[in-house]
Amino acid sequence: MDQTVLLAHGGGGVQTQELIDRIFKAHFANPYFTADDAAVLPLGHERLAFSTDGFIVSPPFFPGGNIGKLSICGTVNDLACMGAQPLWLTCAFVLEEGFPLADLEGIVCAMAETAKAAGVTLVAGDTKVASKGQVDKVFITTSGIGRLLGNVHTSGALARDGDAILVTGDIGRHGAAILLAREEFGIEAEIESDCAPLWHLVQAVLEKTDEIHVIRDATRGGVGTVLYEIASQSQVGIEIRQEDLPVDPRVSGICSMLGLDPLYLACEGRLVIIAPHKEQDRLLATLRALPHGEGAACIGSVTGRHKAGSVVVETAIGAKTLLPRPTGELLPRIC
Amino acid sequence: MQDDVLMQARNLLTSYAGPPLKIMEVCGTHTHEIFRLGIRNILPKSLSLISGPGCPVCVTPVSYIDEAIYLALEKDVLITTFGDLLRVPGSAMSLARARQEGARVRMVYSPLDALELAKNETREVVFLSVGFETTVPGECLALKQAEEQGIANFSLLCANKTMPMAYQALKGSADAFLYPGHVLAIAGTQSCEALVREGVSGVVAGFTASEILTALACIVHESAKGKAFFVNCYPRVVKATGNPAAQELVAHYMEACDAEWRGLGVIKGSGLALKKAYQHRDARLRFAIPRQEGRANPHCRCGEVLRGLCLPTDCRVFGRACTPSHPIGACMVSSEGTCAAYFQYGLATKPARED
Amino acid sequence: MCVGLSAKVVKIDHGTALIDAQGARREVSAELLSDLEPGDYVMVHAGIAIAKISASDTEESSQVLQSILTPTDSAQA
Repeated sequence: MDQTVLLAHGGGGVQTQELIDRIFKAHFANPYFTADDAAVLPLGHERLAFSTDGFIVSPPFFPGGNIGKLSICGTVNDLACMGAQPLWLTCAFVLEEGFPLADLEGIVCAMAETAKAAGVTLVAGDTKVASKGQVDKVFITTSGIGRLLGNVHTSGALARDGDAILVTGDIGRHGAAILLAREEFGIEAEIESDCAPLWHLVQAVLEKTDEIHVIRDATRGGVGTVLYEIASQSQVGIEIRQEDLPVDPRVSGICSMLGLDPLYLACEGRLVIIAPHKEQDRLLATLRALPHGEGAACIGSVTGRHKAGSVVVETAIGAKTLLPRPTGELLPRIC
Repeated sequence: MQDDVLMQARNLLTSYAGPPLKIMEVCGTHTHEIFRLGIRNILPKSLSLISGPGCPVCVTPVSYIDEAIYLALEKDVLITTFGDLLRVPGSAMSLARARQEGARVRMVYSPLDALELAKNETREVVFLSVGFETTVPGECLALKQAEEQGIANFSLLCANKTMPMAYQALKGSADAFLYPGHVLAIAGTQSCEALVREGVSGVVAGFTASEILTALACIVHESAKGKAFFVNCYPRVVKATGNPAAQELVAHYMEACDAEWRGLGVIKGSGLALKKAYQHRDARLRFAIPRQEGRANPHCRCGEVLRGLCLPTDCRVFGRACTPSHPIGACMVSSEGTCAAYFQYGLATKPARED
Repeated sequence: MCVGLSAKVVKIDHGTALIDAQGARREVSAELLSDLEPGDYVMVHAGIAIAKISASDTEESSQVLQSILTPTDSAQA
């Protein structure tokens, strides 16, 4: 393994996992240390979910949101994925000397608005200022606590043979919006990040059935990365159908310009939900009736036909092939 | 309609009952798409696809990466490059690694974007000019604009290559070639048509699912007739004459030279170098880059993989020391590389050997 | 080696074409193609339009397949 930190260690793929295993897990290991989005902790008769997430998005303002909105959605969604109603959040800012106060206020307004929409309260915060060049404009860390609904047990380790795999909308839009906002490639498209708090979707599906096995938000590394994580945690095979993947045409256009695959582009307002096939229609109908769930679709299934830990794609020509494992930094492929 | 076409082409291939046919795709983008679509998985055993040396990243010698790193670290040059080259290991490190050590390396979408960067820079900007016929005209276009607009701080580090000599070198390795559509969109089809007289068969293929399957179906169909053939299955993009404006542009700035291909060695007349009148734009001369030895990892067998002499799974570092996150050889770096494709698509089925 | 992007020309201005691929737009060089007009489809590689496209891939594949499947065989036309 490498001796220094690489950008790829933050990509959410194999190398992130290596870093976690070798450095963090090795020293932090305890019964509550989790591979899921949030830890589930017993407290009296209740179960709490507890999560934390750092945000360093560049640029901090992008079509469809800003780093403030993102920092609320990220933690709210991590809690929601455990079946926990998000309740309280804290936030810590690291600001770069010289950062305009008007921009900071824009970010904070977005946080307040998003927190309100998500039904959470910001209860504590911290501010540090770093001298110019020590950080890039603004970094935010949010932590959150939520209360698990009574009988809910969701985990990346609970996918079962025969389950259906749903996504709550078109994939890769946040990643595409950020790529464009960086203005490195001269590409323009009217596209907004999918960034949104999603507790209402989780609540709605949990009310429909007790049999939700997995809920994950497909953030860094995209849906492809999340599917590999689930396949590995649950020790199951996963099969998806290329043609059933909901992708906005503009995202497809951007991906074909840069030689990228929307399966590995980040989402910030999309869930992967895994439940028995018999629940599929009911869940899709429920999701599609709600904001941010209109584009929900079934993209494949959990299956014993494939090796545990593998993700297989049925391609446009009807062939089946392994989905390449996401690795490292996303590099546009041109030649 | 699209489904019908795919189904028809697929049936033609899956029902193939003729003698074994080896088909070589010469273009890395074809390799990439063939793996992505899972085409190998639907073909009968008698139809085998081999990947040729058509990924510019894979055939670029180690010494070239060393030259670029020398410029970035020793000469404080802003290196501009397609993303594909960033992670290719040089003798000591990759460009991505050099960037961590403070080198300035920028990924660009187009050589023209590199020129734009140069306009706003006081320091020297070098574009890593790799690629085949398809890519060279854009690089010459950047050069032309640099000359016309007097952008003095822009130069190219050339490792460009052309295909015709490579076809010659590969002549015996397959029963038919899947010719690279976008190379021929520039170069025209004459050189491939001429190969028919030497008994070399092939078809020009596009890059979508229906185009690749159709081109393969066409090879199967023509092979049954028992004589050498050439068919352009991609006339919507590839004309017999290619793109004359692009050819003239390249001929104005560049001329044929001998070129080193990783794995194939030096092939006479298979490269492109800047003409004498434009040598002030040649980064090698401008910065007097010392000769780089280019030490590849001794265990790496990319060279043999590129010549079809061994499979990635025959290499002792494949899948263990050499993976897409820690590539040792170029064929593992590029997503068009054969080793990366074998690894990513799970063809690493041979049991791991004890080292 | 040569990722191509098929896109529609929206606008032409002094050797530069604004192209559109499913709603994603970018300026590319049109210097290598002399007779481009808005509405044309082009193949773009690394920011340069390298060829004008005359048909859709499905149409063309269908034609090639028909010529294979019909006994008169005109695939080599």
